Order: sequence, then structure tokens, then C-alpha cells
Amino acid sequence: MDWRSPRVRLLIVAATVLFWMVAAVSRLAYLQLFCYGDYLNRAERQQHRIVEISPHRGILYDRNMHELAMSVSVDSFFAVPSEITDHDMVARLLSRVLDTTPDDISTKLAGSANFVWLARKLPPEKAERIKEMNLHGIYPVKERQRFYPKHQLASHILGYVDIDEKGLGGIEYSLDSQIRGRPGRMMVLADAHRRWFDSSEKGAEAGSNVVLTLDQNIQYIAEKELSQAIRDTHSIAGTILVEDSSSGEVLAMANYPTFDPNSRGDASSDARMNRAVAALYEPGSVFKIVTLAAALEEGITTPDEVVDCQMGAIYVEGHRIRDHKPFGLLTVSQILAKSSDVGAIKLGLRLGAPKLYDYIRGFGFGAPTGIDLPGESRGLLRPLDHWTVVSPASISMGQEVGVTAIQLISAMNSIANGGVWVRPHVLRGYGKNDQLVSTGQVESRRVIQPTTAATLRSMLEGVVLEGTAPAARLEGYTAAGKTGTAQKIDPSTGRYSPTKFIASFVGFSPINNPAVTILVTLDSPVGLHEGGDVSAPVFKRVAEQVLAYLNVPQDEPVNPGLKRAGYQPKSTALEADSSDFDPGQFESSTAPADIVSPPQQHHVAQTRPPTLALADGEVVTLPPLTGLTVREVSQQCARLGVSPVLIGTGVALEEVPEAGTTIRRGSRVTVRFGRQAPPMRTTPSGERKN
Amino acid sequence: MTEFFTVKRIDNSRVVRIAAPRRLRECARLVGLAALLATGVLLYAWQHFQCIQMSYQLEELKAARAQAMEFNQELRLEVAGLRSPMRIDAIARHQLGLTAPVPGQVAPMQTPGGPILAQARRSSPPAAQ
Repeated sequence: MDWRSPRVRLLIVAATVLFWMVAAVSRLAYLQLFCYGDYLNRAERQQHRIVEISPHRGILYDRNMHELAMSVSVDSFFAVPSEITDHDMVARLLSRVLDTTPDDISTKLAGSANFVWLARKLPPEKAERIKEMNLHGIYPVKERQRFYPKHQLASHILGYVDIDEKGLGGIEYSLDSQIRGRPGRMMVLADAHRRWFDSSEKGAEAGSNVVLTLDQNIQYIAEKELSQAIRDTHSIAGTILVEDSSSGEVLAMANYPTFDPNSRGDASSDARMNRAVAALYEPGSVFKIVTLAAALEEGITTPDEVVDCQMGAIYVEGHRIRDHKPFGLLTVSQILAKSSDVGAIKLGLRLGAPKLYDYIRGFGFGAPTGIDLPGESRGLLRPLDHWTVVSPASISMGQEVGVTAIQLISAMNSIANGGVWVRPHVLRGYGKNDQLVSTGQVESRRVIQPTTAATLRSMLEGVVLEGTAPAARLEGYTAAGKTGTAQKIDPSTGRYSPTKFIASFVGFSPINNPAVTILVTLDSPVGLHEGGDVSAPVFKRVAEQVLAYLNVPQDEPVNPGLKRAGYQPKSTALEADSSDFDPGQFESSTAPADIVSPPQQHHVAQTRPPTLALADGEVVTLPPLTGLTVREVSQQCARLGVSPVLIGTGVALEEVPEAGTTIRRGSRVTVRFGRQAPPMRTTPSGERKN
Repeated sequence: MTEFFTVKRIDNSRVVRIAAPRRLRECARLVGLAALLATGVLLYAWQHFQCIQMSYQLEELKAARAQAMEFNQELRLEVAGLRSPMRIDAIARHQLGLTAPVPGQVAPMQTPGGPILAQARRSSPPAAQ
């Protein structure tokens, strides 16, 4: 063989190339076929990461979709001590930012080699300072933190969360499972530079958003007035509740003392307690509405029946019970207006214990109302077989029974609502993103007939017009309600305290078509302590603001002197200089205590001219409707422009308000029909206000 | 004896190599197949790396979107704080010198219903130019 021949040389080159090709392919085959699993595992270990996804906690809104509580991501910092070369230097640098001692941080760093929390959920400025230090071994991580942008507004309803966003009170607690959401995991593929190039989420589910029945503006009005009342009366605690009369929706729930959920650690357990649903007290004279409602409903009395109140003293089974004033002969309407204990006791005894007990339970006492807030007390009502011989008398005037504020306002609301007890509630709906689901029908039950409720509303107006609560009289609106002044039990003696009282007023407005029911309770006011003196004025201030805010049509003319004061020309001396006004400079930490409440009607410093001319509404005088048929009554009401509530069939037997009453167009008139001829009736004592 | 060395000059420049069409076709076919194969491999590789690039971009966009949503949430929180009734009330009273209206000073306007309002607007003469 000639080695120099071209053919041989070609063969040598080909053989060399073939050899290298076989080697390369063999190596590729070995790597791809035999080592595939091993390299795949190594790649997964290097590239795959699992990132825990914190659930997005749902937002709490008020009824107008204003955010009351929401979560955002903030920075937390952890350390990998094994990566830190100089622990002391790092501790010194971080201690200045974290407002702690270097020893604290050194102790933490010494606790573990792989992972240790340095600080969780830091404010943005501190987080930025730590990031700027760019310390090796110190890493940021995003965590969710709950914020309450309105601070203490509605704090008892909203509740609060712990550092891991677990609900601990209020709606945050009762709906924690829906609001919390579900954590998930994100599988991430990252390259050698830790850049992500693929990711997939598994299992994460955002929490439901919740819409409450609260109105943040009404809530603010209630909290502001409560704060003012506490300051004026030096009370130790108080509650204001505002409820929609027809639906039972809680528009405002204000408690004092209160707290800021953003810094719940600074608040005492007393401040965090929701007194409106958890605090028990003897209602006192407010409870007479139950006694009288029961007596009227059972037909054992009428508003005009005259009762001998025995000049303020009555003996029940050998026990002497004294009235707060010596009353003689009073009509049943006057018993309520003047709050005669003797009169109420006589009606309660006439009713009898079993029936009284049934009506008390019917009005919602002795059982939780079912409001969607935690910690509700069922109240204190002894079972009927545990009643003593004196119990019907005591309970008739509001002693020997413990109630919560929410129970009391719900009972009064039943009267405002035409005799139907509606479960009070704060939850309007919930859902995810923009898909909100209403909670649906709320439980309700009829307690008394509409005519009884209408009669009671008129009688309760007497409390304001000529009874114990003239300070509750509203400008521009009719109002009705009941005062209560209950002695507290002195824990040291176990007897009623002569100096400590619970002063209450529960009322609604307007009386013919109630828009809102409001309860005001003050615990241990100093000085004046009667419900009519301390709670009724608060009711007035709250009601006037709330009714104006809700644009409820006025059904009463306004005091002309008040209107004239409002039209005074503007005084330049009182004109505020707003040339240097900068909203950005304003600090939002101003406490409600610093806010001045609206001026009283007789101390009007109003200098700004009105923007709208005041127009008096049309009023009509109700004609007698008794003896007319249903069709005739409907036609009359349509002609007058009032809204009839027709009960029964036949001819009209009774109308509420009574004939001759001046009412506003659009008001509701209740007419009861039957088969018999109406009895002769005497005109009621006391003039109707025009 | 004298030897004569002669050089025979061979001039092949006028020799024309006879072309082998079959051979040429085979060669061209081979080259075409190889080119096709190479293009396919290159195309596969390009798509693969393009996919990876787009994955990077997608992850960057996801991160940007998450960041924007988080920023939006922070802004909503800030707006909620600025809209606090307590804050607005204090600004109105302390900074602007406003006070609450007395009862009866503000009356709600009673506007006509939609169809009536529309008809009134349609029948009213247009404003002069």
C-alpha cells in the first residue's frame, strides 16, 4: 500500500473524523440517555424555587364603598447569620434604625445560623434605610399588613388583627375565614442570575371583601357627639347606636372608650370591648315601652284610660315601691310621657307575669339578637318560673332585667317599624373583586300590630313634647322616644348606688315614617344624670345631623328665630383666612376630642349665607276617615298625597294619626278596618302640635 | 552513445472535462437536504431560545403588574386616609372656618324625573351663539 496515495490519505482523514464523531455522539448519547435523570434533578434543584404566597385579606367597606380596612405589602427583614462576617457591626448599624440595642440584635443573630427575623412589617422609611445599607446576609421579604385608614372610626365593629393578620375582634374575627383567603405557593424557575423565567401559582385564593351597613359619615357624627357628651358629663363610658328604622341596618355604632386598631397593643381590654353588644345594664324607664306595648296590644288599656298613680307609692306583696315623683291621676299616655313607675307597675300587674314575659321575649330581650359581631351578651332575664312575686312590678319599670344597647334599640325599632322586630345587622354583603353578594333576607317577626305601634309612636312623641325629654325635640322634624335613668349596682354593697346612674334615651324620627332610630347611653354622668337631661340633648344633636345628611324631608316647620339667625349677613371679622391653607400640612391624627360639635340652636354663630332658599313643605290636615270603605279611604289618601297603610276589610274603625292632625304630604297613615260600627270616642287630652 | 532528452509538452488547456449531470444532481440534492436539515435545526433552536426570552419578558411583566397593583393598593389606602371624615371635618372647621348648617338652612332640591327633565331641555330654545 502506498501511503502517499490520495486514496489512502482520504481514508485516514475520514477515519479520524469518524472517530471524533463517534466519540461525540457516544458522549451525547451517554449524557442524554444514561445521565438524564441525574442532570434533570440537578437542574430542578438549581432552578426550581417555591415561594409562599400570603393570602390577600379582603377589604372592609362601608355602605358607600369607602375603605375602612385594607392590607398592603410592607417590608420585613430577616438575617442569615452564617453569611454575616461581622455580627457586631451589623448589630450596631441596624440598632440605630430599629430603635433597639445592639445587644438585642446580636442575641438574635446568635440564635440561629440559617434564618432569624430581625424586624417585621416596618414602616417604609425604616425599610428604605436598611435597604440602602446593603448589608450582606440581611434580606427583605414582603409581608401583608392590615391598615385602618380612618383610625378609631368604627373600631369596635371592624375589630383588629394580630401580626399574622388573624382576626381577633369585630368583623375581622367573626368573618375571618371568609376575609382571610387561602395561602398558596408559586413554583418558580430561575436562572443562574436568579432571574425568573417561568412561574405558576397554585392554591392561592384572595379573601372576600365585605360591605358593612355602616355609613362612615354617620359613624363619625355619632363618635364625635359621644366624645363631646363624655367630656361634658364626665361619664366613664357611653354608647350611641344609629339604626335604619325599616331594615334594621346599623348605620353607626359608637362606643367610649375607644381605640385605634392600628395600634391595638396600646389599648386596654376595656377600650376594646364593644359595649353596644356586650355590656349589660338595667334599662330603667326605657323598658316601660315593653310594658305599655304589651298592655295596648292585649287590649287591657287604652291611651286615654286614667290611672291613679297613688301620689308616687305602691305596695306590691308587702314591698313599697316609690315613684321618682308623686303623680296623682294620669292617663296611660301621660304615664309614658312623665315616666310614672307606679302607673307602669299597675299596667304590668294587670297584664300578668306570663304575658309580660312573652312580650319581653318577643321584643328580643333575654336572647342574643344575632347581630354579626362577636361577644354579644344575651342579656339577663330570669325564666318565668324564677320570677318572684315582686318581679312583674320591678320588670315593668325596667329593673331586675339586664339588657344590652343593641337589644334596646331593636325593641324601640320594632315600634318605629310598625310592630315588626328586625334582626339588627352590620353585614350588607361580601364577595370577591366586584362581585358582591347580598346577605339576603334578614330575620324578622311581628311583635305587635301596626295600629298598636302607631298608637305607641304617638304616645312616645308625648315624651318629647310634654314629658321627660323636651331636650330631644328636633328642629324641623318630629321625634319620639323614651328616657331612662337607671341606678347602677354598687359592687361593694350589692345594692343600688345613690350616685351612679345609667342615663339613656332611645328614640326615632320622624314619627310618621321613621327614618332612623337612635340610642344614647351614658354611664355614670357627673352632676346632671337624668336621661332627659344628658342623653336626650345628644339624641337631638345626632338626629338633626343624621336626618339632614340623609336628606330626610322635614315634617315640621323650623323655629323662625333659628332660620333668621342663619340668614344674618356674613361678618368679615369671623371670616377665616384660607390663603395659606395647605391640606398636605394637615396631620390626620387629630383626635375626635379636638373636634368642636355643631353649635346649639340658641348659640348660632352662623354667618355664611345659605346656598339654597328654604322652601316650606306642603302639609295637610287629616280628615276623619272612620266609616269609609277601603276604596273611599284610598281615594281620600291619594287626594291628600299621603301614603295609606290599610289593615283589615270592611269600614274604617280607627286611624292613626287621628283626624285633625296636620301631617306632611307623603307621610304614612295607618287605618284599621272591621265589620262593626265604630264606637263613640272622646277627643284625646293634649293638643296635637301644629 | 549520446542520449537525447526530449520534453514532451502536454497542453491540456483545451481539454474540456465532460460534465456528469447525474453526479451533479446527486450533489445538489445532498447539499439541499443538508441545508434543509440545518435550517430546521436552526429554526428549532431559535424558537426555543425565543420562547425562553419571552418567558423572561413575561415574568418581568408579571412582576411589573404585581408592583403596579401593589402601588395602586397603597394609593387607595392613602386616599382612604385623606378622605377620613375626622380629617375633613377638622380642615373644614379649623382651616376654612366652616361650620355645620343650622336645621332648616339647607333644603334638599326636588328635581323633576328623568323624562320630564329631558323634555324640558329639548323644548327649551338653544343658547344664542
